[in-house]
Amino acid sequence: MLKDITIGQYFPVESPVHHLDSRTKLILSFAFIIFLFLAQGVAAYVLCAAGIAAVTLVSRIPFKMLLKSLKPIAFLAAFTALLNLLYTPGDVLWQWWIFKITSQGIERSIYMVVRIVMLIASTSLLTYTTSPVALTDAIETLFRPLNKIHLPVHEFAMMMTIALRFIPTLIEETEKIMNAQKARGADFESGNLLNRAKALVPVLVPLFVSAFRRADELSIAMECRLYRGGEGRTRLKQLKMGKNDGVAFAISILFFACVMIATRILP
Amino acid sequence: MEEILKIENLTYVYSPGTPFEKKAVDDVSLTVHKGEFLAVIGHTGSGKSTLIQHLNALLKPTSGRVLLHGRDLWESKEVTRDARFRVGLVFQYPEHQLFEETVEADVSFGPKNMGLPPEEIHRRVVESLAACGMGEDMLKKSPFDLSGGQKRRVAMAGVLAMEPEVLVLDEPAAGLDPRGREEIFQFLSQYHKQHGTTILFVTHSMEDAARLASRIVVMKDSRVFLDGTPQTIFSKAQQLLEAGLDVPQITRVFLRLKEKGLDIDTGVYTVEQAKEVLLRYKREGKPC
Repeated sequence: MLKDITIGQYFPVESPVHHLDSRTKLILSFAFIIFLFLAQGVAAYVLCAAGIAAVTLVSRIPFKMLLKSLKPIAFLAAFTALLNLLYTPGDVLWQWWIFKITSQGIERSIYMVVRIVMLIASTSLLTYTTSPVALTDAIETLFRPLNKIHLPVHEFAMMMTIALRFIPTLIEETEKIMNAQKARGADFESGNLLNRAKALVPVLVPLFVSAFRRADELSIAMECRLYRGGEGRTRLKQLKMGKNDGVAFAISILFFACVMIATRILP
Repeated sequence: MEEILKIENLTYVYSPGTPFEKKAVDDVSLTVHKGEFLAVIGHTGSGKSTLIQHLNALLKPTSGRVLLHGRDLWESKEVTRDARFRVGLVFQYPEHQLFEETVEADVSFGPKNMGLPPEEIHRRVVESLAACGMGEDMLKKSPFDLSGGQKRRVAMAGVLAMEPEVLVLDEPAAGLDPRGREEIFQFLSQYHKQHGTTILFVTHSMEDAARLASRIVVMKDSRVFLDGTPQTIFSKAQQLLEAGLDVPQITRVFLRLKEKGLDIDTGVYTVEQAKEVLLRYKREGKPC
């Protein structure tokens, strides 16, 4: 049940995409999203979809995993499609009571769904191929200039790293506690909403107790190793851009150019 | 002896179909008889903790069956729920499951879920706390104010209060000081004698297994490696050592004595036995 939650959903296989610098992947994913919203017309969208498919193939992520990441937003996509379908003004095709379906509405709802699906697919690709810790490192490095205006970038990054690091631990802990209470006859699966919420008390109390204990232990352990913030701190894993990253940037720029050309020239 | 729990060709696979797939229990068959005091020994990752979570239907076997009094635990929802009460499972570090404001309320959690009347619940709470060496003065205390060993015993009492037919414990003495360990095992063997409850416990320590259990199951690489009385298990001490498992210190001493040319039985596993064997050896001057 809890195992199905995929926050740190890193999918560890060997592939050229996995070996890219996390900053490269972050920047390119971000750029892809921007171009996704600049793109217009069938040709440009087909090109974007082809781009996602190509990256998926190269990164050896099974397409099944990509579909799995889309499941949670299925409702959102359907809802967006419905709203766009019913509330876009234009040439009326069909009308009933206050609902109108227009040809523009159909077109726009299809575009919206395709956009949302590709948006999620591309960000999922990023998190599938990049470990959460590498991602935080990338964010910290890219945002470092903000230190100049006294934003505590390192502290935020450290908090994120610790939070990410403890998600699997806390999930495991939750499962353990749930099992322990189930062994005493606790029932989490039946009853109405109120009963189910009440049934969680025996899980939440021990979970909070252990989370605070862990936080305490971790802070002591960090102090014992003389942690004193980000200034002058070196890292174990240096982020390094290599030849592959250059290639990735070159291909992507070419790709983005193609998308723009498709948008401008082909309607 | 009457069969109480029967495990048939149990296999369990974690996260099937992902890169993290792992077979934790591999084709294990085991029969537990009524009144037995059974120890399950094995390395970390040998599958013993996974195995015992099948005994009260917390985990559903990937293949194979677990039978309680001849009925499959997954036969129907009622049987599954019933199994949770008939087979009491005490997890490793059970003190991490305490959540109520008072010891009494926490120990009552199990019996309350069984739907028992209040007087019966109170009787069970007091009795199970007593079985774990705690008096009625503890009832109104907060479980979070107790010492580590006391918390552990309150958590154990929480399972005992369901009066299960089979008591399963995962490393009941893990992380306790020698005195805490001694107390836990003392209460366990006392409880076993008084109630005749079938007890199965997982441990790392050959010493604890040798001292308490009437039967030992050794697990290795997700399978049952050896199964028998302490006598038969430790007479295969050499085999255990080759498999990277420990044997009681006293057995190791006897193995060394035999190596040195003393013709003695190396199946001993307690100091008392060793004393007798050595005295007899001295008296009669010949093998025994």
